[in-house]
Amino acid sequence: MIAFWVISIVMVASAVATVTAKKPVYSVVALLLNFAALAALYITLSAEFLAVMQIIVYSGAILMLFLFVIALLSSGVSSFNVGPDRMPKAAIPAALVIAIALGFVVYGLSNASIATPAAPSGSALGPVGSADVFGSVSDFGKALFTTHLLPFEITALILMVAVVGVVLLAGDKTPFVGTRERAREVRREMREAILREGGVQ
Amino acid sequence: MSALPVSLASYIGLSAVMFFVGVAGVVLRRNPLVMLMSIELMFNAANIVFVAFARAWMHNAGHIFAFLVITVAAAEAAIGLAIVVAVFRSAKNVDVDEVALLKG
Amino acid sequence: MIHHVMGVNGFYPLLMTLWLLPLAGAVLCWTFGPQLKQLAGWLGAATLGTSFVLTLLSWSAATQNSGGALGAHQSLLSWIPGFDFGLLLDPLSLIWTFIITGVGFLIHFYSIGYMHGDKAFARFFAYMNFFVFAMLTLVLSDNFVGLLVGWGLVGLASYFLIGFWFERPSAVAAARKAFVINVVGDVAIMFAIFVIFTKVGALGFGDVFANASQLGDWVFVVCVGLFIGAAAKSAQLPLHTWLPDAMEGPTPVSALIHAATMVTAGVYLIARCAPLWSVSSDAQMLVGTIGALTALVGAILGTAQWDIKRILAYSTMSQIGYMIMGVGVGAFEGGVAHFFTHAFFKAQLFLGSGLIIHALANEQDVRRMGGLMKKMPFAFVAMLTGVLAICGIPGFSGAFSKDAVIYGALAHGHPWLYAIGLITAGITAYYMFRMIFLTFFGSYRGDVDPSELGIRHPELAGTPAHDEHEPHEHDHAPAWIMAVPVGLLIVPTVFAGWLMFGEHSWWSQFFSAQFAPEHTVATPVSDVMTTVFAVAAVLAGFAIAYLRYGAPAAMEHAIERLRTETVRMPGALANALYFDAALDALFVRTSQLLGTLFGRLIDPLVIDGGVREVALSARWLGTLVRSFQTGLVRAYALILVIGVACFVAYYAIAGGVH
Repeated sequence: MIAFWVISIVMVASAVATVTAKKPVYSVVALLLNFAALAALYITLSAEFLAVMQIIVYSGAILMLFLFVIALLSSGVSSFNVGPDRMPKAAIPAALVIAIALGFVVYGLSNASIATPAAPSGSALGPVGSADVFGSVSDFGKALFTTHLLPFEITALILMVAVVGVVLLAGDKTPFVGTRERAREVRREMREAILREGGVQ
Repeated sequence: MSALPVSLASYIGLSAVMFFVGVAGVVLRRNPLVMLMSIELMFNAANIVFVAFARAWMHNAGHIFAFLVITVAAAEAAIGLAIVVAVFRSAKNVDVDEVALLKG
Repeated sequence: MIHHVMGVNGFYPLLMTLWLLPLAGAVLCWTFGPQLKQLAGWLGAATLGTSFVLTLLSWSAATQNSGGALGAHQSLLSWIPGFDFGLLLDPLSLIWTFIITGVGFLIHFYSIGYMHGDKAFARFFAYMNFFVFAMLTLVLSDNFVGLLVGWGLVGLASYFLIGFWFERPSAVAAARKAFVINVVGDVAIMFAIFVIFTKVGALGFGDVFANASQLGDWVFVVCVGLFIGAAAKSAQLPLHTWLPDAMEGPTPVSALIHAATMVTAGVYLIARCAPLWSVSSDAQMLVGTIGALTALVGAILGTAQWDIKRILAYSTMSQIGYMIMGVGVGAFEGGVAHFFTHAFFKAQLFLGSGLIIHALANEQDVRRMGGLMKKMPFAFVAMLTGVLAICGIPGFSGAFSKDAVIYGALAHGHPWLYAIGLITAGITAYYMFRMIFLTFFGSYRGDVDPSELGIRHPELAGTPAHDEHEPHEHDHAPAWIMAVPVGLLIVPTVFAGWLMFGEHSWWSQFFSAQFAPEHTVATPVSDVMTTVFAVAAVLAGFAIAYLRYGAPAAMEHAIERLRTETVRMPGALANALYFDAALDALFVRTSQLLGTLFGRLIDPLVIDGGVREVALSARWLGTLVRSFQTGLVRAYALILVIGVACFVAYYAIAGGVH
C-alpha cells in the first residue's frame, strides 16, 4: 500500500520531469527513473518477469538508443538544445482537453464498480520463481509459447520490419525529407524553369 | 490468492495521469526526441493497466499483452529515432514545426 | 350490351409479313439508295403491293379459321402483366389496312413518276415505306401502347415527309409545326392510357373494353384525352392549323398521309374505342360538335384559298370533320364508311392536282391556271369525278357515306349537327366547283402578270416553285406511270359507295360484328329526305360557283374579278379565321414568356444559383477542413487526443451504467 503510493509519486514526478526538461538528456534521465519505478510497480503486482523485461528492454536498449541519437545530433548543432519550446498555440486547447479527459476518468472511476471475478483455478500467488505460480517465468513462458504463439511470431515480423525501416531511413542513402525551406527552394526552381521555358517561346 | 494492495481504481488513475502527461509532452513539445519519450510514457501507462488487471483477474494474458506492447514500443522508438536522424540530416534542424510539407 | 369481337387467336405468318414488309422496304431503300437509284421506287411500290395482297390473303385465312368475319389476332410478345403486344386484324383494322396498303400502293406507283429525277429519290421512298409501316403498327396493334407507338411513328414519318425538301425554310417550319402539334396529341393520349391502366389494369383492347365499366366516371376523361390526340392528328379545331401548312410536302405525300391515311387516324381511334364512347354521352356530344364545327370551318376557309393544294387541304379538314362527327355521335359505321370513300376520292383529287402541278412546273396558284380542260383532259376527268364524289352527287361514292354521316347525326338526336352537315355540304360544292372552274375553264392565265391578278408576292401566294427539284423537261418519266394510278382510283371513287347501298348492305353486314347494334341505326342507308336536302344544298353551292366563276359573263372579266376578289378578301378569311394568331398568342407567347421567366430568373437564381451554392459550400468546407491540415505533427496529435478524450468520456459515462 505504502509502496504503491511512493512508486506512484515517483512515477508521476519523473514523467512530468521528462516532459518539461530543458535538455533531452535530462529527459532521458527522468525517463530512466520512471521506468525503474514502473519495474518496481510490476514486482508489487507479481509480474516479476515483466519487471525484468522493463529494465532490460526499456532502460537497457531503448533509452540507450535515445542517448546515442542525442549524442549523434547534438555534436556541433546549437539549435538542437535551444531551450523549452515557445508556448505553442495548441497549449490551451490541449490543456483543456487533457483536463476534461482526466475529469472524466475520475468521474468514471468514482462511479463505476470495477468487476474482479474469481481467478481461474491453477493460478495462485506464491514464492517468486516457483513453477505454476502466477507471474512466474515458467507460467509466463508457457502462456507465451502455447496460447499466444501466433502474436509472438508476429512480433518477430514487426521487429524485422522495424530493422529494415531503420536501415532504410537512417542508412547512407537517406530519402528526401522535406522542410518548408526545401519546399520554397523547389518552388523557386520550378518557377524559374517555367520562366525559362516561356522565354524560349 | 489475495486482494490487491490497493484498489484497481488507483492503478487506473495512475495510468491515466501518466498517459496524459505523455499526451501533454507530445502536444506541447517541439523537440522530436522528447515527443518520442512522451510516447514511451503513454505506452507504459497502458502497460500499468494491463498488468494491474492481470493481477486482479489472476490471469497472465495481461502480461503477454504488456510484453507485446514493449516489443512494439521498441520498434516504434527505433523507427522514430531513425526518422529524426533522417530529418536532421536533410534539414539540419530538429524542430517538428519546421517539418510541415503536408500543410494543406 | 356492348358487343366487341377481338379476333380469333392463331398463328398468322402473312399478317406479320404484311406488317414488317414496308419496314424492310424502308431499310433497303435507306441503306442502298445510291445503288438502287430509280429501282428504289419500284421496290417501295412492290413491297406495298405485296402487303396489299397479303392483307387480303390473311383476312381470308382469318375468316376461314373463325368461320365468320371475326378477324385474326396474334400475340407477338409479352411484357408486363396486362400488356401483351400483338396484331389484330378485325373488320375495322382491315378497312384501314386495305386503304393504307391499297391506296398506298397506287400513290407509291404514282410517285415513281412524280418524284422522277429528284435527287433524294430513294430517301423519299424510304420515308414513305416507313410511314406505311408506322401506320400499319397503329391500326394493327391490339393494345393502346402499340397504338401510341404507331401514333408517334406516323407523326415522325409525317415530319420527315413534310420537311422532305428541307432546303426550303417554309417546309422546315411546316414540318416542325406539324410535329409539335401532334406531340400535344400524343401526350394527351398518353394520359388517357395512364388513366385506363390505373383503373382497368390492362391495355389490350379486348381486356379494356370488356372491363370498361371499371372506368366509372373517368370514362369521360379518357375520351377527352383520346380525342385531343385524335384532334391533333386529324386536324380538328383548334389543332388543325398544321394541316394546310403540311402541303409543303410533295404532292404524293399530301395524298397519302395528309388526306387518305394518317389524318384519319383520329377517326380510327374513336371507332376503335367505340365501347368507351357509347357509354359517355358527354364525350359524344363534345366530339360530334367539334367534328361538325371543323367540317364547317374547313369548308368556309376552303372558299378563300388560291393554292390548289390548300383548297384540298381545307377540304380534307372539312371531310375529316364529317368523319369525326359521325363516329362522335355514335354513327360509327357511317364515319368509317366516309373514311373509306374519302380515301379514294381525296387521293384521286390530290393525284389529279399533282398531274396539273407537275405539268405546270410546280405552279400551285389557281389564279394562274385556267382553261386546262383541253390541254389536260385526263386530269380534268380525274378531278371532276373526285369533285362529284366529294360533293356527294348521288351515285358517286361520297354521297353514300356523307349522307350516312349527316343522317346519323339526326338519328342520334343531334338536329343542329345535322343542319351544320347540310350547310357544309353546300359550301363544299361551292369551293370545289370554284376550283374546277378556275382551273379548267376559261382561258389560261399563267402568262398574265401576277400583279394584274392581285398577287402581290408571288412567292408567298402559293408554294414557290422549287426549280432545283424540278424534273427537267427531257427527263420526264413516262406519262403512263402517273396516269395509271389515277385511272385505277377513278373506279372506287365512283363505285365504292355501292358497297353501302341497301338495307342489308355488304358494309353493314361486314361491320355487324364490330359495332354494337344500336350504333348501326345510321346504317349507310340514309333516308330519302336527307339525300334530297343534301342534293339541294349541293346544287345551291354549284349554282353560286357557276355564277361567280363558270358563267360566260364571269369568264369575260375573269382577271379583273380575281384581282378584286384577292384585294377585297376579308381579313378573317385571308388569315384563316385568326386561328394561328390565337394559338400563337395563347400558347406560343405564353411559352416564350415562361421561357423568358425561367431564363432570366429561375435559371440564373435557382438552378445556377443552386449549383453555385453547392460549389461555394464545397469550397467553404474545403477551406475549413484545410485549416486542420496544418502539416504540424503536434496538431494531428492534438486531434488524436481529442478523439481519445471522447472515448474516455464515453466509457466514463456509459461504461459505469451497464
